[in-house]
Amino acid sequence: MRVGKLPARKARILALRYLGAGVVTLLFLFPVYWLFMISFKTPDEIYHVPPLWIPGQIQFSNYYVLFKDGDVVAILNSLIVAGVSAFIAIILGTLCAYSLARFGTGGENLAMWIISQRMIPPIAVVFPVFLIYVYFGLVDGYFGLILLYTAFNLPYVIWMMRGYIVDVPLELEESALVDGLNRWEVIWKVVFPMVRPGLMATSVFTFVFAWNDFLFALVLTRTEVITFPVMLTHYFGGQSNFWAKIAAMSVLGTLPIFVAVSVMQRYLVRGISLGAVKG
Amino acid sequence: MTLSESINAAEQRRPSRFGRMFEDRLPYLIVAPAILILLLVGLFPLIYSLIVSFQRITMTENDTSFVGLLNYAELFRDTRLWASLGHTAIITAIALPLELLIGFLMAQLFIDRMPGRQIFVALLVLPTVISPIVAGATWRLMFDVRFGPIGQILSFFAGEPVRILWTVNPSYVYPAIIICEVWQWSPFMFLLLLAALSNVDQSQLEAAEIDGASYLRVLRAIVLPAIAPVIAVACLIRGLDLVRIFDIIWALTEGGPGSMTETISLYTYVQGFSQFETSYTAAISFLVIALLTVITTLVLKRMELAR
Amino acid sequence: MADVKLSGVHKYYGNVHAVRGVDLTIADGEFAVLVGPSGCGKSTLLRTIAGLEDPDGGTIAIGGAVVNDLRPRERNIAMVFQNYALYPYLTVSENIAFGLRARKTPEIEIRKRVSEAAEMLGIGNFLQRYPRQLSGGQRQRVAIGRAIVRKADLFLFDEPLSNLDAQLRDEMRTEIKRLHHEITTTMIYVTHDQVEAMTLADRIVLLRDGNIEQQGAPLELFEQPRTGFVAGFLGSPSINLIPATFKTNGPEAGVVFQSGGELTLPSAKARPLASMNGREILVGIRPQHFSRAGGSLRDGVVSYSATADLIQPTGTRTFTTIKIGGVDAVAELQAHDVSSHGERIDLAIDLNRVVLIDPSSGLVIA
Repeated sequence: MRVGKLPARKARILALRYLGAGVVTLLFLFPVYWLFMISFKTPDEIYHVPPLWIPGQIQFSNYYVLFKDGDVVAILNSLIVAGVSAFIAIILGTLCAYSLARFGTGGENLAMWIISQRMIPPIAVVFPVFLIYVYFGLVDGYFGLILLYTAFNLPYVIWMMRGYIVDVPLELEESALVDGLNRWEVIWKVVFPMVRPGLMATSVFTFVFAWNDFLFALVLTRTEVITFPVMLTHYFGGQSNFWAKIAAMSVLGTLPIFVAVSVMQRYLVRGISLGAVKG
Repeated sequence: MTLSESINAAEQRRPSRFGRMFEDRLPYLIVAPAILILLLVGLFPLIYSLIVSFQRITMTENDTSFVGLLNYAELFRDTRLWASLGHTAIITAIALPLELLIGFLMAQLFIDRMPGRQIFVALLVLPTVISPIVAGATWRLMFDVRFGPIGQILSFFAGEPVRILWTVNPSYVYPAIIICEVWQWSPFMFLLLLAALSNVDQSQLEAAEIDGASYLRVLRAIVLPAIAPVIAVACLIRGLDLVRIFDIIWALTEGGPGSMTETISLYTYVQGFSQFETSYTAAISFLVIALLTVITTLVLKRMELAR
Repeated sequence: MADVKLSGVHKYYGNVHAVRGVDLTIADGEFAVLVGPSGCGKSTLLRTIAGLEDPDGGTIAIGGAVVNDLRPRERNIAMVFQNYALYPYLTVSENIAFGLRARKTPEIEIRKRVSEAAEMLGIGNFLQRYPRQLSGGQRQRVAIGRAIVRKADLFLFDEPLSNLDAQLRDEMRTEIKRLHHEITTTMIYVTHDQVEAMTLADRIVLLRDGNIEQQGAPLELFEQPRTGFVAGFLGSPSINLIPATFKTNGPEAGVVFQSGGELTLPSAKARPLASMNGREILVGIRPQHFSRAGGSLRDGVVSYSATADLIQPTGTRTFTTIKIGGVDAVAELQAHDVSSHGERIDLAIDLNRVVLIDPSSGLVIA
């Protein structure tokens, strides 16, 4: 690559921007670094005054403890609950979105009602849901949480997938219909493949919402199906000697999210803005 | 089966009567499961709780007799409720503009292409995607009076030991919550505004550059009007999130000291799950829903008008 | 008012060498058109003159002053963009006044200039509307108005008509030509459309792969192309290029097609080629230089008998595909010269204006 000489003015501006970028990134990533680092520290290093900014050595005993005590089951629970509910929400939500997008089922009103479901504050929903779950014995089980997360994510999936489906050229579907496929086949063999990137991105975000949720899990789990954010708060009550556990559990619970979101970076903006902004 | 194979297969069969019925009703059939779940888990509990809110069920009594608006009247006398709404409003009113401003400045910093920009953006997104509970836990470690780095850094600049009990001292709990909140969500604003700014028509900016417009004039006449819809959406999404803020506070202060940082979500939780004031909590839930509906409608109206 | 002088201008995009050492002088008041296929560097060159891109080498002078280090706003230029770049949140009159307000022109002066421009462009009735309420042609006029009021030294146009439909494009082309007659500012106009280039330009600058292939008056380029590329780029339908071998036979000279058949060249064309017996060449014959044979043939006009294959009437003229030397060629004939597929037609080819090209170098020999 050949780069011509930059005018001095531009070179200065670029240098300043890198400096700014460096400072901003440092500010925002330092807490993450701190958390990460503590998870590798020994207790002596964690409770050192003044705090140590670099661990003496990388050691995994903090993680080992989580496995030994069986606390990682919380991660497993989160995986099951978030994974299954994301899968169901994606399938049902996409079908519903197709109907809204292509047949205009229920008109604008149904679409608005669905998105308004997303606006309802979780705290207002969780209480009556709890009462009903107690009645039906659904508290502290996989089924109850999965059902709730599915319902909570459906409006998001429907809204996002409706946007992606509307972008599929109608001619493609019409051509398949003319070629002799029925609607059901058109959905599975033409529409799904076309919206696959959007489908993947929406699945990831759906998974992340369920994974990160705390309130529902706090209310609806007791001892059996504790998810990872709830497990994390269980450590708070104790003395600060639970720091190692907090840090290690946080890192374990953040890694999958970070990997998933990094892969889906292209869709991040559209995903978190309910499609209002196309990145 | 590939697409062309299924097309061939399709050509050789006639739709059965059942198949025809299925296809005719397909629009409704594929909507049904999703709507059913939404009704079951969304609407049904709400109706149930509406009924409960007119009864008098508490931890000790299961009085299902109809008491009219008694619970709702109680809302107006509940000073702790209004205080919690006030706390929520304070946090929202400070955090939201801060996040918007910081996000905008960050977006301005990264709007022009420069080598490595993608990596910076990917790193800066991290706070926004982690669980709020993790964010709260992280800052609890950061703020710790003895073993956390914040005190050490402040001491370094102050030149003398600074010992602040961030999550306990009444003067510092709000700053602590807002720092954590702004840290986690400014990158969210940043992402949306960066996308919005990149969508501003480049040739309009070039035309303005040739016309000789100053930075502020370009900002006012071209950039801000162009990204205004995105700012509105971003503020709506974040505003609604802030009004129902729960996780971060739970992780940092649990509403304390006393009930000083108790937000409306926390108060509802306390009423429902530690006091077991079933009917009263149901009434609070409806107050919250009503408030949010009003706010959302107003904001959406404003957005419509702005178009 | 200003002349423009580029010397040795280079521009890279990463590894792509978009502009490769362009030297170009445009006189004060001249209408220059930069034309060429997509990717030839014409837009890049224009944006470099505007200051929207920094050159990686060479100097750019406007009105005698080197402007390399000046920002676009400091160059006193006006530019019309392909997508018009109207500010959507400002009314038409605010759009037109934008550049003047940015320069703190007195409000009275602004009002005067805006109404003058609106009058000149016939957009006086739309001044209070927003761009989205205008048709494509009206937006185009507003964009031009925004440039006019600036009374800039130099007007730049970046493919301004390519978003318009054919009829409007013809209309706006005429308007731009008239505009240049009225305000006589130096104008540089970028297009990929050779018809626009031919009709508008005082001077065409034909670019190819970041270099100037040839520049000159439109008819000069059309009639005396220096390369096969220039010959092929200008003219519609395109010139027919037929591979052949050059053959001399005493004072007589002609071309022999690979599939047999030969044409005798007029002596003026043959003379520079005297020493090239047996050389491969491309024979370039413009569709317009075919006609239906009738009566006696002028000097340098030869007869040729062919079978009409495809027939495309356009109303006034009919494009007919025939075979010459084994390849398809298009002949532009009178509307009723040919009526049916497979018809045998006797043609006259005017070889006085034939273009002979060296296939290895691409240069025009004669």
